[in-house]
Amino acid sequence: MLKNSLQLLTLSPLAAETNVLFYLNDAVTQLLEHKEEYTQFGIVRYFAEYFSSVKNGNHVLFREFGYIKATAHNRASFIRVLWRCFRQIGKNGDLLAMLEYSSLLQLLCPDFPVEMVQHAARIVLMDDAMDCLMSFSDFLFSFQIQFYFEEFLESIAAIYQDLLSGKSPNTVIVPTSTSVEQLPQVATEETEAQEGVDSSVFGECIEVLCERFKHNHPSTSAIREVLELTQRVTFYGFVMALVRHEGINQDIGALPNKSELLIDPEMDQEVEKLIAQIAISPTSNSSSSVPGHKEPPRKASPRKSLHHRKRIEMESDGSTEETDSSEN
Amino acid sequence: MKNAFLNKCVFVTGPGDAITLSENSPSGFPIAFRSCDDCALSPERIDLDRRCLEECHLLEGMGRLRLLNFQHNLITHIHNLSHLRHLAFLDLYDNHISQMSGISALASLRVLMLGKNRIQRTCSLDNLTKLDILDLHGNQISQIGNLSHLSELRVLNLAGNCISRVDNLQGLDSLTELNLRRNCISTVTEVDQLPCLQRLFLSCNSITSFDELACLGESCSLYELTLDGNPVALETWYKQAALRCVLQLRQLDMKRVTEEERRMACVMARKEDEKKRESHKQAMHKEKRRLAIRNAALQWEGVRACLEHPAQNGAKEEVSPEASPAHSPAQTNGLGGGASLSLSDSHLAELDGETLRLFGLGALEALERGWGVQTAGAVTVIAFRYIHFDAIVPTLPRIRVKFPNLSHLIFLETNVSRLPQLAALAQVRRLDQLTIHPEGNPVVSLSLWRSFLIYRLHHFNLHKINNLEVTMNDVISAERLFGTLGHIAATETPRCRLLVLLEESRKRQLQFLLEGRGRRAGLSPEELRDNGKLLGEGLSRALFNYPSRDCCSEGAMESSSERRAVMEQYIQAQVQRASDTNLKGESLHKLWPSMFMEMVRDYVLEMRDRPTFRQACLNRLSTQGK
Repeated sequence: MLKNSLQLLTLSPLAAETNVLFYLNDAVTQLLEHKEEYTQFGIVRYFAEYFSSVKNGNHVLFREFGYIKATAHNRASFIRVLWRCFRQIGKNGDLLAMLEYSSLLQLLCPDFPVEMVQHAARIVLMDDAMDCLMSFSDFLFSFQIQFYFEEFLESIAAIYQDLLSGKSPNTVIVPTSTSVEQLPQVATEETEAQEGVDSSVFGECIEVLCERFKHNHPSTSAIREVLELTQRVTFYGFVMALVRHEGINQDIGALPNKSELLIDPEMDQEVEKLIAQIAISPTSNSSSSVPGHKEPPRKASPRKSLHHRKRIEMESDGSTEETDSSEN
Repeated sequence: MKNAFLNKCVFVTGPGDAITLSENSPSGFPIAFRSCDDCALSPERIDLDRRCLEECHLLEGMGRLRLLNFQHNLITHIHNLSHLRHLAFLDLYDNHISQMSGISALASLRVLMLGKNRIQRTCSLDNLTKLDILDLHGNQISQIGNLSHLSELRVLNLAGNCISRVDNLQGLDSLTELNLRRNCISTVTEVDQLPCLQRLFLSCNSITSFDELACLGESCSLYELTLDGNPVALETWYKQAALRCVLQLRQLDMKRVTEEERRMACVMARKEDEKKRESHKQAMHKEKRRLAIRNAALQWEGVRACLEHPAQNGAKEEVSPEASPAHSPAQTNGLGGGASLSLSDSHLAELDGETLRLFGLGALEALERGWGVQTAGAVTVIAFRYIHFDAIVPTLPRIRVKFPNLSHLIFLETNVSRLPQLAALAQVRRLDQLTIHPEGNPVVSLSLWRSFLIYRLHHFNLHKINNLEVTMNDVISAERLFGTLGHIAATETPRCRLLVLLEESRKRQLQFLLEGRGRRAGLSPEELRDNGKLLGEGLSRALFNYPSRDCCSEGAMESSSERRAVMEQYIQAQVQRASDTNLKGESLHKLWPSMFMEMVRDYVLEMRDRPTFRQACLNRLSTQGK
């Protein structure tokens, strides 16, 4: 295991891209915070599992928002996890509100901020009628763009505002989210009369931004493709076009094509299996629970193997949550 | 004028006295003279009854007259009596007198009998301060009045009049007997202002209830009372009521009150008092309860306004202040209210049969206090209202232990707003029914909340959620929606993460299994997927928990960021070392072939001349030995 990580480290440009140090830091931090559990678990095994999960994209499950946001790989993994976990809900065809999606996200990441979901919803709904319902695929793709390119979107929003308020496009724009200058009203009214800003001007500004942008951004070719389509473009129109762009989606690599979003035969099989388990389980509604009837202590039935009996003893330690269907 | 009668009159005044009547009087009034002999012994008593007199005679020289009897005559006015300064007894019973004027000068009068006349109004009594007995029975008096100067009056007879209301009795400070029989009395007042009144006769009137006799109870002196012939006396409980009204009564309706009766009346009076006090206490309690609930509601509105997410419609915030407090009285009146366990001005905990109701944050402490096994065993429903859900969560595990028969939880106005919060209910371990009221719980507006609840609390086998039965279809669709989520969570979460997430018992389970199986490092995907199967079905659901918020504290955050800084430095150092070592290794690896070649060449050169080499080695060995 040590050899693996060392190999990763020595490929230094790759090291920067894959944020190896970050993961190492996090691994050791987690180890220190949960010393008792992990020392029993085995430190070597812990590191192995940690980095395998990073590779597989599972490492973001049930982690805090700060961690998930930290690297591009984490963000992409999270988006992918979302897709896999909630695909069935999308398949069900329900249209859900923003708050509902936010709730679902919080199941996997308890401190996921609602603002992020709000921004994503705003993209889908084009900043209009915020309590409208959205379909799963619409939301997921918008969320992907919003979350993965968060900083980029902030910056181009600032650029857009500047352009709207009539600033000269030739000035070098240093994008900060607080840069909104006071300009004569006449100019503003003029530009607002025609919707959005000029696409080519906008595109130039974005390219200037991308040249020295530290964070992730969509490829410039994709941006150019999007902007070529229309003469004028609004902010949300532009972002929505990014959302729909197949190339960007593939670059991120988290989600499949829109048309294939709901297809996953393997998982469907799993679901059917789970449902079958429940359907045949004798612990169905109308039968057993009599109010006031205390649960009898579990007794090991004689035909179980020794290992099973050991497990049962562990279970009766107070956790009555589990319903092992075979026991009934 | 019937003089013949007068001739027959015999005045019984004193021994041997003789009175002659003169027929010649200037005014035409019969004047009675007494002989001069008799003048020395002036009579103190004159009886002029049954003489068909139509007027009072002017009685001259009767300065010392004390008793004057005019009974059974036809007198219409009271005249010619003003000079009788010593008159103490005046009897005008059974005449035709319609006005009482004419007696006002008789300041020494002690007894005045005016019964069976036609008097309509009492008056002219202001100077008769020495009056002891006043008899006005059988007249047409409709109102008691003008008696306030009679401070020495002991007996007042107003029977057989048309009095309907007993009042204006002030000033009769010596009155001991008041006869009001055969009137039309319906209300009695001011009797308690008669400090000496002992006997009161109210027979044959129109008194219908003891409420009209309330003042009798206040009297301290009254011991004899008659109420027969009133409608109130026909009631079955009349005697007890009378005794209860006037506790010290010794004679009722001319019958002695026995000790037994009096005792019973006392007891019943006390019981009534207690009942009144009890109902007053209950009313107070009810008011307090209502206030507590209202204040809890108001506090809740305040809290909710702060917590209200900015994204939610502003309309919600505006509507609530009017709606909710107005709402709650209606609701609380509907709620029975039971034994109050904990009551303050802003929270209320009460046990109402099987239901334990908690209003307001402070009510949660009622769950902590000692509960007797029987009382706790009787509770099957707990209802929370106006309490923030996050505050309830820490109590959930203990609730199950404390109330073993709990089968239904109700949450109303508790601000359950997110799906993960619903997961906290799993800590209750077993439940039959669950109600999360749409009022005050935004989570109900999410369309997936019910499915998630069914999924997460699958092992509860809930019968009903919000009074809607949970069908097999519900269960299956919940599984369909959330099954993948659970499956992925269970199978793909790295085990190290699982160890941190799970609660104690499962953690030990997992650890036990990990040790037992003795896995090597580097789990393959299939083995990872076995996570779920190893720990049982419930694992996938158990991963979704809602921790109580007390784990994050300021101090912990600070120390962890310090720790992180230290750690980063340490790791940097280690990484540096590791990469240096690796670099060295790599360069060694690169250089090794040439190094090896050189070493070999050196040795080959050295060994070309074998005898010289042998000698050199031996020399080296011997020098080394020294």
